[in-house]
Amino acid sequence: MNDKRILNVSNLVAGYEIKKGFVKAVDEVSFTLDKGEFLGIAGESGCGKSTLAYGLMKLLKDNAVIKSGSINFNGQDIQAYSNEQMNQIRWVDMSMVFQSAMNALNPVLTIGEQLTDGIFAHKDVSKEEAKNRALEVLKLVDISADRFDAYPHQLSGGMKQRVMIAMGLILQPDLIIMDEPTTALDVVVQRTIIEKIQDLRKKFGFSVIFITHDLSLLVEISDKLAIMYAGKIIEYGNANEVFLHSLHPYTKGLMNSFPSLTGPIKRMGGIEGKPPDLLNPPKGCRFAPRCDKSLDICFKEYPETYSKSENHWVDCHLYNKDGNSNG
Amino acid sequence: MLGDVFKLFIENKKAALGLCILLFFITVAILAPVIAPYDPKANKIETIEVIETERGRNITVERENSDEFNEKRIYSQTVTTTYEKNTKKFPLNSPPTSEHFFGTAHSGQDLFSQVIWGTRITLMVGLVTGLFTTILALTLALVSGYFGGIVDDIISLFTNVFLVIPSLPLMIVIAAYITVKGVFPIVLILALTSWPWPTRLLRSQVVSLKNRDFIRVSKSLGEKHSYIIFREMLPNMISLVMASFFQSTMGAIMGEATLEFIGLGNVSIVSWGTVLYWAQTNGALLSGAWWWFLPPGICIALIGTSFALMNFAIDEISNPKLRKR
Amino acid sequence: MVDNILEIKNINKHFPIKSFKGYGRFVHAMDDVSFELRKGEVLAIVGESGSGKTTTANVIAGLYEPTSGDIYFEGKKMGKKMNRKNELAYRKKVQMIFQDPFSSLNPTHTIFSILERPFIIHGLVSGKKNLRLEISKLLELVGLEPAEQYIDKFPHELSGGQRQRVNIARTFSVSPDLILADEPTSMLDVSIRMSIMNMMLDYRDRQGISYIYITHDLAGARYMSDKIAVMYAGMLMEIGSAEDVINSTFHPYTRLLKSAAPSPEEGLNRSKLTTKGDIPSLINPPSGCRFHPRCPFYKEECSMNIPEIKEIKKGHFARCIL
Repeated sequence: MNDKRILNVSNLVAGYEIKKGFVKAVDEVSFTLDKGEFLGIAGESGCGKSTLAYGLMKLLKDNAVIKSGSINFNGQDIQAYSNEQMNQIRWVDMSMVFQSAMNALNPVLTIGEQLTDGIFAHKDVSKEEAKNRALEVLKLVDISADRFDAYPHQLSGGMKQRVMIAMGLILQPDLIIMDEPTTALDVVVQRTIIEKIQDLRKKFGFSVIFITHDLSLLVEISDKLAIMYAGKIIEYGNANEVFLHSLHPYTKGLMNSFPSLTGPIKRMGGIEGKPPDLLNPPKGCRFAPRCDKSLDICFKEYPETYSKSENHWVDCHLYNKDGNSNG
Repeated sequence: MLGDVFKLFIENKKAALGLCILLFFITVAILAPVIAPYDPKANKIETIEVIETERGRNITVERENSDEFNEKRIYSQTVTTTYEKNTKKFPLNSPPTSEHFFGTAHSGQDLFSQVIWGTRITLMVGLVTGLFTTILALTLALVSGYFGGIVDDIISLFTNVFLVIPSLPLMIVIAAYITVKGVFPIVLILALTSWPWPTRLLRSQVVSLKNRDFIRVSKSLGEKHSYIIFREMLPNMISLVMASFFQSTMGAIMGEATLEFIGLGNVSIVSWGTVLYWAQTNGALLSGAWWWFLPPGICIALIGTSFALMNFAIDEISNPKLRKR
Repeated sequence: MVDNILEIKNINKHFPIKSFKGYGRFVHAMDDVSFELRKGEVLAIVGESGSGKTTTANVIAGLYEPTSGDIYFEGKKMGKKMNRKNELAYRKKVQMIFQDPFSSLNPTHTIFSILERPFIIHGLVSGKKNLRLEISKLLELVGLEPAEQYIDKFPHELSGGQRQRVNIARTFSVSPDLILADEPTSMLDVSIRMSIMNMMLDYRDRQGISYIYITHDLAGARYMSDKIAVMYAGMLMEIGSAEDVINSTFHPYTRLLKSAAPSPEEGLNRSKLTTKGDIPSLINPPSGCRFHPRCPFYKEECSMNIPEIKEIKKGHFARCIL
């Protein structure tokens, strides 16, 4: 086992039991994460990225289950952990920043109370110590100490999101999972929060899994990039590599979906069609019906993984084992 | 869309059960003359039979002034008919027997027939009041919610004032003042005291719908107010309108029973409430005449359950969070 | 000035506050907003939430009445209260696309009954058969093919992108001269945004109509438009051709927006933001330039007077003393 490795997910299958069957929102997903690394997971709505995040935290809603696979966190297989065991490591070793801070913060408690509650739940400390720690993390996210006794509704959207990040940081976890933390915010606020996260990461060396649909943002801020489509990670690699030399037609389409601010204006394409129904995913490659380079085999078999380099792989029939393009 | 709602409604177990109970009572109400064995107000059966008819022997002839072309005569005959009148008095205050399924009242009326005929009045008062209240509330809600401004302020003020007045005492006071007897005043009293709650409920939905984008789209397209209200907003309110109709109907049935029970309704009509009233005034409870108060009581409880079940079902259908997966 | 399809002059829109506490005070949603739009031109209004960009669209669409100021449409001044005939004529020429594809279609109507309304209101087509034909053509125009597959569906049976196409079809139905698009792609998935934007641009090229395209995404604004207007806290800060505003940015706020926008090419080497803070309260806006509390180039006079909007170079205006 690699010392640097903090998280190793292999063949994870998770989804929702509904009347009509099982919705495989996460299907045989495998990836690894090193200490201090910033992994971006990009995907459209309904591709299973949030289910993956909640699955890693084992915080899935009642009709959602992890079917199989393993989650190895800090050398421990937490897939088999009971709820009590999870409570030991949740927030202490891994924490989560939710999409909407407005819903995740309790409106009748001050932010100070909510922050110190998190400490008391896991550590046996005095009131004074807890308060000091809470003030410390608030300072880290640029919220002044006089906001300690403020209620959530007295803060702006960006401040609330920063409080959420402070809550994620308060017990100094090794891994923070962020589920669309900036989606509801304006660009300027989003930028300040991203800068804050990067600063703190440099300072404390925690790892981040950052989930969003905004690929242009992810490319810029992450070390590693995973592209999810219909429950599968279809391409994974160093962010720059994936951006400059994307392999999968879906990734290429996504990269062609946001106009550049500074570069020359050229006609962009986007991707036609819509993602498949996860209740009855298509046989073979999930993307084949929307793909303009699809081969016959794409509709029959799910492609094997092709590794272009150690840190860049793709699930696509266009690339065979020898690295030649079939298309 | 309406069909979908109806289908969902039927498929829901609670709704189906509630609907079955309601349909049962409606059938009873319609077929009351067939089902009820006796007149609900009678305490005896009188049968009159003709035993024999005898024609008299003598025929008298009368001639009236005739001329040579016309003749007119009048014949008369006496006919004697003998009748037999059998009066069968019902037993007084009798427990159920094979002749009187629910027993008889203090002064002999057949309680089964009373409950059967009472279904008619009770259901009619309930449904008419429910409909009336819902239409009144819906109109007020649409006017105040959609147009807003001063109209909204006035209607909301009245609604709020009426909401804080407890409705039972209000009902009693109004009932005591109204001297016209009959079913209509009861409907009026019940409707007048029950409109504020559904009005407020529906108004809040109108306000939230008004700010939905598709309503703004319609405005920007240049739709008329009437089209926006009736074709764009109303179909989106069906479930809430139905829910408030069920609730108002249930409330009206309860309210009617209450008014009748305390004697402020019209005691000369036959409804479940008046049956209970007479049971109460004649001390049925004290004398242990359970057959007198139990059947109408159970009926009221059943119809209440039926509407409550349908209301739950509507809630479940319109709020997917409550729907079973 | 005949080739100006729309000109708005010194528009103010203040909403009274209804609560007891704020009684007698106003939300300054739009203050002194002026711009003109030529036939066939696309103007993007860029701003953060609360900048007044959506209010601007609603005022032009006639959904809100401006507190003061004038709107000239095709050279004619729009009256405050229009009679039904003029109102209908205006509404036929000016159409609006709303942001949220999920709430802008009535869930109880089929696509057919949604799309037949504009034809019926304006008396363009009559008879079920003709309507069906026209609506089928319309659906194919916005890329919902084959039309028969969509025409009798309910909105909830369509995906977000398809619903937004229906919304756009509704605006195309009356062949308008001006379409106000209020963040039409911000709630859609990234992969389908481009096709919606391209469809709108293609339609413009064919019909020669104008758009006002409202967005918070500077790069998207540049892709879509000829002219960009930047709004902040209810005021117009900078307006000019798209290239001028992006490449020779003048106003410090526009620079801030530009530096905050995600840009994959720059990676982590990008410069840090120089500005902190939030959009000010519109109930009690800052004195002078609305941006001065956050401005890195703040001078004392900025908080004294609201700077005049002035021409920096031909067709490029900014509201800044610099």
